[in-house]
Parts: sequence; structure tokens; C-alpha cells
Amino acid sequence: MQALAKAAEWFIGLFIQGGNTFSGLVVGIVPLLIVLMTFVNALISLIGAEKIEGVGKAAAREGLLYYPVRYVVLPFLSVFFLTNPMAYTMGRFLPEKYKPAFYDSAVSYVHPPLGIFPHVNPGEYFVWAGIANGVTEAGYNIGDLAIRYLLIGLVVILLRGIVTERISAVMWKRSAAEGAEA
Amino acid sequence: MKKINKILESIGRGVGKVVGAMYQAGRDSIDQVITNVLPFMAFISLVIGIILGTGVGDWIANTLSPLASSLLGLLVMSIIIAIPVLSPLLGPGAVIAQIIGTLLGTQFATGAIPARFALPALFAINPQVGCDFIPVGLALGEAEPETVEIGVPAVLFSRFVTGPIAVILAWLASFGMYS
Repeated sequence: MQALAKAAEWFIGLFIQGGNTFSGLVVGIVPLLIVLMTFVNALISLIGAEKIEGVGKAAAREGLLYYPVRYVVLPFLSVFFLTNPMAYTMGRFLPEKYKPAFYDSAVSYVHPPLGIFPHVNPGEYFVWAGIANGVTEAGYNIGDLAIRYLLIGLVVILLRGIVTERISAVMWKRSAAEGAEA
Repeated sequence: MKKINKILESIGRGVGKVVGAMYQAGRDSIDQVITNVLPFMAFISLVIGIILGTGVGDWIANTLSPLASSLLGLLVMSIIIAIPVLSPLLGPGAVIAQIIGTLLGTQFATGAIPARFALPALFAINPQVGCDFIPVGLALGEAEPETVEIGVPAVLFSRFVTGPIAVILAWLASFGMYS
């Protein structure tokens, strides 16, 4: 009997632990998340998401100067205004050869802003919050991490865009050569 | 009188637009929190509860923490996750990234992993982002079928290179943070 009671206590203990975690998350994260998302959603609907289409057209241009436009500015604005997954529709303004690289760049930016702009991808919030929560519990301020994640994210998507553009260019050339042989 | 009416009308219209937008934004936010965020919090809480309650946490602390407290360990993690065959399997819903992130989070909380590794860790758990979604994402961008054929392997190969590089960049950028 004693053992059974012990087992029951242990079993319930798991969920008490889980429940405490849950209430911590709900009280600690949800209120801020809701108010922040409300603010940004309102801002976006007042500005009008269609305003960023001009950037899409500019990003299609050739030349070294337009790499940052195509793989930093456009993905950032697309993700901020259209959020995941509608951000990828901005690829339609680009020529086919840039589309894989733009997708790579945009999709890689649906998590880095989460610390400051959670509206971009609330369904995958814990990619950021899992680690961020632990850092908070360890007694650190989260702002520094959030802003560095956002900024390094921009560097990473530029790099991804350039690398993927190069790789797809090589693959296109190869598949064209194979097509010519066949 | 007519002028005043006109002014009042335009003020009313403007206020109505702003209030309407904010109210709708609030409704959207609550919807998203209820349908997307809270269910995941329940799931994550269950996972954490079981991990902390059963002592699996100690096991994780002994295996995962040493891996995540060094640049080399994080690089190994990102390379494994970015393997072109694995990355599309690990992608869906970012569930894997969220679970690994939460597991690491419990270790950051206890101080088993130094806080400055949080930045490279954020990139190390996520080189597979969107790898499951490439054909759909390209279709949303109105890509031709041929572009999808090239794009899928191109992105997967690119990740194998840029995944670890992202970790290194983040590691370099983490100097001076929480020290």
C-alpha cells in the first residue's frame, strides 16, 4: 500500500512540475505576447502590407548592389509584414533564378525576430523561447540576446541567399548541359 | 456649420479606422495565442515536467550540456541536423527545434551551459528551418516546376554549408554578452 501511494505521488509529481511550468509560461509570456502582437498587427493593417511590393520589384535587379536588397531587406519586410508562410509569396516578383535563394533567405528569418516581433511566427515561438526562457531563469536580461539574434539573423540570411543563388546557378548550368546531351 | 461637420466626420472616420484596426489586431492575436501558442505551451510543459520529474534531466545535463557548451559541440549538432537527408525530416512545424531548444533551455536555467552560448545554440538547433517546406514555399512564390526541381537540392546543400557557418557567426557575435 505504502509503495502504491509513493508511486502515485511520484506520478502526480511529474504533472505538478509540468503544471508549474505551464503557469509560469502563461503568466510570464502570454500577456506580453498578446499585447505586442496586437500592436504590430494593428500597425501592419494601418500601413498596409501591399506597400512592400515595390521593394519586391527593386530586388529583382541584377548587380552586386541588389544582393542586400534581395536577401536582407526583402526577406525582412516580407516576414515582418506578411509573416510565415505568406512571406514566401513575395518571391513572385523575382526571376526564376533567384527564387530558391529568396525562399532560403526568407524562411531562415521566421525565427530570429521572435524575441522582439513574435507576431511573425507565434506557432513556432519556442524555437526562440525554449532557450530564452532558460536564460531568463538563470537570471539574465533577455534583450541583449533578442537583438543579437535578430541582427545576426540578417547576416545569416544574406549569406544563405548568396550561397544558395550560387549553388542553384551551378545546378541550372549542369541540368542545361545534360538536357543538351540528351 | 458645414465645415465643422466635415471636420467632425473625417475625425470620426479616422478614429474609427484606427480603433477598428486595433480591435481586429487584438482579435487576431488572441486567436493565434489560443490556436497556436497555448497548445504548444501545454505540450512543452508536459515534456519539461516529465524531464525534471523523472531525472531524465540529469541524463540530458550529462550528455547534451557538454555538447552545447563548446563551439565544436554546437558545430557538430548543426552539421548533423543539416545533413540533406535528415533536414527535411526534422523540419515539420519546427517541432524538433522547439523541443531541443526547450531541453537546452532547462540546462541554461541551471547554469550547466554558460548563458553566452545561447546565441550560437539558437542557430545550432535550427539549420533545418523550412527544409520540409521548400516545394510549397517556392510554389507560393509562383515558381516554375523546373525551379522547384533545382531549388530543393540547392537549398538542402546550401544549408549543409551555411548551417555551421551561422553557428560560427553567432558564436563570434556572442562575445561580450552576459560576461
